[in-house]
Amino acid sequence: MNRLSDQTGLKIFVGVLIALAAVAAVISIVRLDTFGEKSEGLGKKLLDDIKELSKIDPNLILYEESGKRINTGFTQSRALAVDSKGAILVAGDRAVRIFDPNDDTISQISLSDQAGCVAVGSHGRIYVGVENHVEVYNADAQRLARWNSLGNDALLTGIAVSNDGIFVADAGNRIVIRYDVSGQIVKRIGQRNPETNVPGFVVPSASFDLALSNDGLLRVVNPGRLRVEAYTLDGDFEFAWGKASASVDGFCGCCNPANIAVLPGGGFVTVEKGLVRVKIYDSEGTFVGVVAGPEQLLEEGGAYIHEFPEQAQGVGFDVAVDADGRIFVLDTIKNVVRIYTKKEVE
Amino acid sequence: MRRLFYILIATAVLSALCVSASAEMRFPPPEFEGDYVMPTTTTPHPHPDIYEYVDVAVLAAALSLASYLTLKLRSRRAIFVLMMLSLIYFGYWRKGCVCPIGAIQNIILSIFDSTYTVPITVSLFFLLPLVFTLFFGRVFCAAVCPLGAIQDMVLVRPVSVPYWLAAGLRLLAYLYLTLAVLFAATGSAFLICRYDPFVAFFRLSGNVNMLIIGLCFLLVGLFVGRPYCRFFCPYGVILRQLSRLSKWRVTITPDECIQCRLCEEACPFGAIRRPAVEWPAVEYAKARRRIAFLILLIPVLIALCGWGGSLLKNVTSRMHPTVRLAERIYLEEAGEVEGVTDPSTAFRATGRTIEDLYDEASVIREKFVTAGWVLGGFMGLVIGLKLGAVSVWRKRTDYEADRAGCIACGRCFKYCPREHVRLEKNKQEIS
Repeated sequence: MNRLSDQTGLKIFVGVLIALAAVAAVISIVRLDTFGEKSEGLGKKLLDDIKELSKIDPNLILYEESGKRINTGFTQSRALAVDSKGAILVAGDRAVRIFDPNDDTISQISLSDQAGCVAVGSHGRIYVGVENHVEVYNADAQRLARWNSLGNDALLTGIAVSNDGIFVADAGNRIVIRYDVSGQIVKRIGQRNPETNVPGFVVPSASFDLALSNDGLLRVVNPGRLRVEAYTLDGDFEFAWGKASASVDGFCGCCNPANIAVLPGGGFVTVEKGLVRVKIYDSEGTFVGVVAGPEQLLEEGGAYIHEFPEQAQGVGFDVAVDADGRIFVLDTIKNVVRIYTKKEVE
Repeated sequence: MRRLFYILIATAVLSALCVSASAEMRFPPPEFEGDYVMPTTTTPHPHPDIYEYVDVAVLAAALSLASYLTLKLRSRRAIFVLMMLSLIYFGYWRKGCVCPIGAIQNIILSIFDSTYTVPITVSLFFLLPLVFTLFFGRVFCAAVCPLGAIQDMVLVRPVSVPYWLAAGLRLLAYLYLTLAVLFAATGSAFLICRYDPFVAFFRLSGNVNMLIIGLCFLLVGLFVGRPYCRFFCPYGVILRQLSRLSKWRVTITPDECIQCRLCEEACPFGAIRRPAVEWPAVEYAKARRRIAFLILLIPVLIALCGWGGSLLKNVTSRMHPTVRLAERIYLEEAGEVEGVTDPSTAFRATGRTIEDLYDEASVIREKFVTAGWVLGGFMGLVIGLKLGAVSVWRKRTDYEADRAGCIACGRCFKYCPREHVRLEKNKQEIS
């Protein structure tokens, strides 16, 4: 009798167990995200709150947008420069367009390929980095020279001109090339060399820029190291500034700053991509303030979330400064140039 | 009791592994500081072909040994040892892949897709157990299949499943096989591999839901002998039919049956058939009429199930990535869902037109209509034949192992008193 009741008890136990297991298995199958469509991505602990980071203290914003935005007319704008007379040069698609604010005229230099950078030198000469080589034009848009290619791997993304030569940032080869005015290579700057303390450029994406400072040194962004480095024109590494941080005074992401320009007073303007920020640093590299953050630069406000991978890989906004200290920002998403002037101190 | 304790300990250890498997993967941040030098990109060497042939050789050797142990040596202990070795080699060492169960899909896909070629080793993995079954019965299930072994290992307190219930549940295996063939033939998915409940245990890693499903099978397997093998295994469906034709097969004892019923008690798989006398004439006449009715019913069942299968095209075709993508894009375009998925983003980046995608998806969906008719019809045939089978009376004078259901585990001859006597006699004769 006891054995019979034991057997019955076992059968009930097994029946309940099987029922529970069946329910658990069915729930597991139903909840199984076979196609990865229910994924919520990485856990919060692995993510920065971009929305939060995009908010900038209004007291830190020292500039305001002024004047009419310049519509470049490009579908893919890339680079920006301002000449000594105030003309604005924008490189995009397969051309460089010159917007003269004095008489509202627009002229164009047609190119064989897409330009990655543009700069204006003395006598109004325009230097354009086209893929892997430099082309030189006069003010009348006539080509004066086409310098030798730097090789198939080269990708010119930054250019600066002075009386000492033309300096080109080659993101493909992660190096800065110094040319003389005739287009001959004078120096290769920034190749990693532990003996001379040159750290080498880390360029994970096609964002690599430089600027010639008033102190006679070359400032080159080292985006992978999240800092700006100073070199003599002969390529000696002097010092670096910038810290890796998501806070407003640092540089964050994989590779920032993306672009740099020099202010008339000796400070610098940097542009970051991803979390788009245009910021001011003094000549020592100390954070001063913000020109514009995501809430000012992006129409929707808040952080810009990339919808397509190719957007994330695109170049960042470019920046230039005129003699009056006005800051020009090329919005490579809307393909417009925004002009920022310093806020009046109350 | 002690065995139960060990099993519970093992279950606890496996559960702990599940917890570690569900932990989020972390990766180190990119190292841009210091003297880090980016390593040069290297291409991993392909898996040497020789290992695949070694696997085939091991499979052939294991099947040969299993045949010898079940038919000649008749030792449950030896079969169990071989089963454990197979679990270690094919399960934990080779991580459950390649396996004959999943190879069904490779074979099916190669039949329907001329661009897909099955490696010879995969074909051998599929064929070898079938050939051995034709000659020696289900020796693959007995001692070579790692999925069977892991379930056999946890079986501690078997309870019998009523015959009618077991027969009904076996339809799930046919349904699973049908769906696996459908999705493999249409290039949609390898269903058997995707829902392998034990592979996560073999790899000590996997989706937490699949680990739970595997754990459920093992929990049920504590009391119900090999639930996956008996009620779900699609390869088992094929082996069952071939085993009916096998030239040699396991017998409870080659000696005279004394009808002690110990074998029936010992078999946890309900594979022992009782002796049966002739039917009374009245019952016989009723059964004849019933079978005649069922035979007439079979075409109706085929047509009904085939029709049902074709109607399911909207559901079944979702397993195909193109159809799924087209549906997603449609929902996004109609504004019925928010956001985008990785596949829809990737599709939009290709520049292909949405209409082109819809056209392709429509063609694929039509294939599911045809396949639904064929495979639904097959399910109807199976149901009809099964109904017929339960109505057929077979006369038996002794307890016998069911030709299809017996997996040659050797438990019955361990318990058979006549087998003990026979083996003792053999020993005496040898000595």
